[in-house]
Amino acid sequence: MDAGQSARIVAGTGKYLADVELPAGSLEVAFVRSPYAHASFGEVRVQGLAGRDLDLHPLRIEGPGLNPQPWRALPLDRARYAGEAVALAWGANRAAAEDAADAAEIEWEPLNPINLGDRLFETTFDSGGVDEAFAAAAHVFEERFAAARQTPLPLEPRGVIAWPRDGRVELWTSTQVPHLVRQYTARALGVEEAAIRVLVPQVGGGFGLKAHVFAEEIALAAAARATGQVLRWVEDRRENLLASAHAHDTAVKIRLAVAADGTFLAFDAQVSADVGAYSIHPFSASLEPATCAQTLFGQYAVGACRYRAVGFASSKCPVGAYRGVGMNAGVHATERMVDEVAAQLGIDPLELRRRNAHPQLPVTTAGGRALDSGDYLRLLETLREKAGYEGLLEEREAARRRGRWVGVGIGFFNEHSGTGSTDYKKRGITAVPGMDAARVQVTAAGRVVISTSAAEAGQGHADTHRLLAVRELGVLPEQVDVVEGDTDLAPYGSGTFASRGAVGVVEAVVRCLRAVAGADLAPGTDVTRTVDPTQVFPSGAHLAVAEVDPVTLVPRITRYVAVEDAGTVLHEQAADAQVRGGVAMGIGAVLLEEHVYSEDGQLLTATLLDYLVPLATDIPEIEVHHLHSPSPHTTLGSKGIGEAGTIGAFGAVANAVADAVRPQRGKLWKLPYSPKAIFEALEPGA
Amino acid sequence: MKVALAVNGSPWSGEVEPRLILADLLRDRLRLTGTHLGCEQGVCGACSVLIDGEAVRSCLVLAVQAEGHEVTTVEGLDPELGAAFLRRGAFQCGFCTPGFMVTAEGLRRAGRKPGRAELEDLLTGNICRCTGYSQIVESILECL
Repeated sequence: MDAGQSARIVAGTGKYLADVELPAGSLEVAFVRSPYAHASFGEVRVQGLAGRDLDLHPLRIEGPGLNPQPWRALPLDRARYAGEAVALAWGANRAAAEDAADAAEIEWEPLNPINLGDRLFETTFDSGGVDEAFAAAAHVFEERFAAARQTPLPLEPRGVIAWPRDGRVELWTSTQVPHLVRQYTARALGVEEAAIRVLVPQVGGGFGLKAHVFAEEIALAAAARATGQVLRWVEDRRENLLASAHAHDTAVKIRLAVAADGTFLAFDAQVSADVGAYSIHPFSASLEPATCAQTLFGQYAVGACRYRAVGFASSKCPVGAYRGVGMNAGVHATERMVDEVAAQLGIDPLELRRRNAHPQLPVTTAGGRALDSGDYLRLLETLREKAGYEGLLEEREAARRRGRWVGVGIGFFNEHSGTGSTDYKKRGITAVPGMDAARVQVTAAGRVVISTSAAEAGQGHADTHRLLAVRELGVLPEQVDVVEGDTDLAPYGSGTFASRGAVGVVEAVVRCLRAVAGADLAPGTDVTRTVDPTQVFPSGAHLAVAEVDPVTLVPRITRYVAVEDAGTVLHEQAADAQVRGGVAMGIGAVLLEEHVYSEDGQLLTATLLDYLVPLATDIPEIEVHHLHSPSPHTTLGSKGIGEAGTIGAFGAVANAVADAVRPQRGKLWKLPYSPKAIFEALEPGA
Repeated sequence: MKVALAVNGSPWSGEVEPRLILADLLRDRLRLTGTHLGCEQGVCGACSVLIDGEAVRSCLVLAVQAEGHEVTTVEGLDPELGAAFLRRGAFQCGFCTPGFMVTAEGLRRAGRKPGRAELEDLLTGNICRCTGYSQIVESILECL
């Protein structure tokens, strides 16, 4: 991380969105939100502005498999989930703005909430040969798995400042995707992109949540243009849990054809995701179901596959990105299935993975994915050595003899990172540009200024980019400035998500730096490079040891080993920090996190006392090891590592807890693996 | 209502609405924005400050309740704690950091010398979403 920013963080002088100094007379906004899961409404009387006052253009995402229903940032006459913003109310401070929101008069007409509504997305895939493989199989296994509705929950909630200045609107927002916010806000307002400048202050975590274009950004920009007022909205945690973006809520049914020796021959899967009320911008309703389906058994040499993936609408908060997105549900289903097969066939789970992992890369999978590099057998072997696998199994047996419920679980996976425009279009997402860009300038004084289309939220981009400049140009770190998060200064690109930093962004930076080196760092040199990356596939193998208390049924992770292969590692400390943080998030997602709605569509988990995230006592020491199989698609051979920790944990943690309760004849399939889920799994007849 | 208190050693007094929370007084009136609001539900600990040396959540304390008390915010802490956090890379986004540092300072002033497991337990009033906690725990252990 940038040394100056780090020093400000510990001094308490960091400048997050809510810390930006505003001119006197600025107004604080509170949103009037729907109290109903589904309702029509008439006139809105509010000290502020409603949808009908702002004349916002509806946005729609078109593409293969997508139902292009329109989305208005503020609806005109119907709210489709509890918490949906319907109007802005304002006052001199937040309390006054909330008073104004409470005083808003709206004629609501409640409607029945929708549980399984329109198909907002649907796709199918068939490699051919599936029926033949099932006919020839010695065993056919069928299982179902479910990933809970969750939310990324960065510790800093969202926030927006809309500041009219010189005929434009400066839109400060805590976002991972500044150029996309500019693009879609301009479209919704019906103005040129040049009329909007998006600025990103210091961001207190994103994890995918802040990679969307939100109603609040568009509404504040429109209201600031309409009134000429500086407006600020700072989200509170209740709004964040209720109405930002949720994630997952995906059910997977798989049939797997297996040969007598345990070889996986083919799978046939149904993926069904509850994507909420709208197709979320920019990723669309395809994000979770398509990503999940594409991930299934991707690490294994399965000869044939078939799947159908559907995203259904419901009267719930829209589903979007959360570190790993559908790969988490996909790896959970795949890796839990492998362990169930191993248990039923009496084959050691590590051995079953060894028999079925892609023996050699590069390879194109039955699902059509071009895996670029990796050494999956060495990955599993390294995990075995580093974790001391056989010793752990002996310890588990000894503990079980003393009546303890101990389990060992493996999560083996690959994931795609750095998705480019071709792959987004293939997945039906046309609203994401897919390219990344960098610009490197040499100033008259000889300073090197690197600006990129990425947006920092704690990953440490500045440090990594500075390190690249030092290596490529031989300059001192103090000579390098890094600029991100300002659409006037940074080149156009996708932003920060899908672990694309080490792929497209770094590639663009390196190409610029090499061009600058070629120009001998002549002052005035100014190079911009745009990269449309080819998807690369990091891989990993994780192991967790879990113990479940036989009385309280509380699961705990007592040991964790992660072996990652993200190609060339650019900055080891930053990479390890991403893996550890990712694993911690995955432990929370597997054991604790769950959003729950009541039957009438009210969110029951709108506080941090109800929506549980991991605390210091929940996370063991996380050991991280790296293999380095460079990607042929990037100059330095790097691949993304932002999501690997979380994705691996969805396999390893889930399998460890499932293994701990297996001797009690409990079978876990639905996340989170909470004491309640374990209790239900242990019930006779469950 | 009128309220008078000391913040980081300096006296402050002024007129406040009875409903004003201490966090908003510190952030909006005194412009001490190192105290972060992560939930306003009393759970995440990002808004922790010391009142007479004891860590409290400033989102759950009314400004008027601090009448006559000594408040310490992250801006008023001994730089030694921050140096340990920097050295060990104990943050990524940094939003939770002030809360952890204030909690640590409260333990230090109480003369606590916990072992690692006990310290983890003492830190369950603060949430970090980025790091997985171990570097935070180690930074604080080093300073107690």
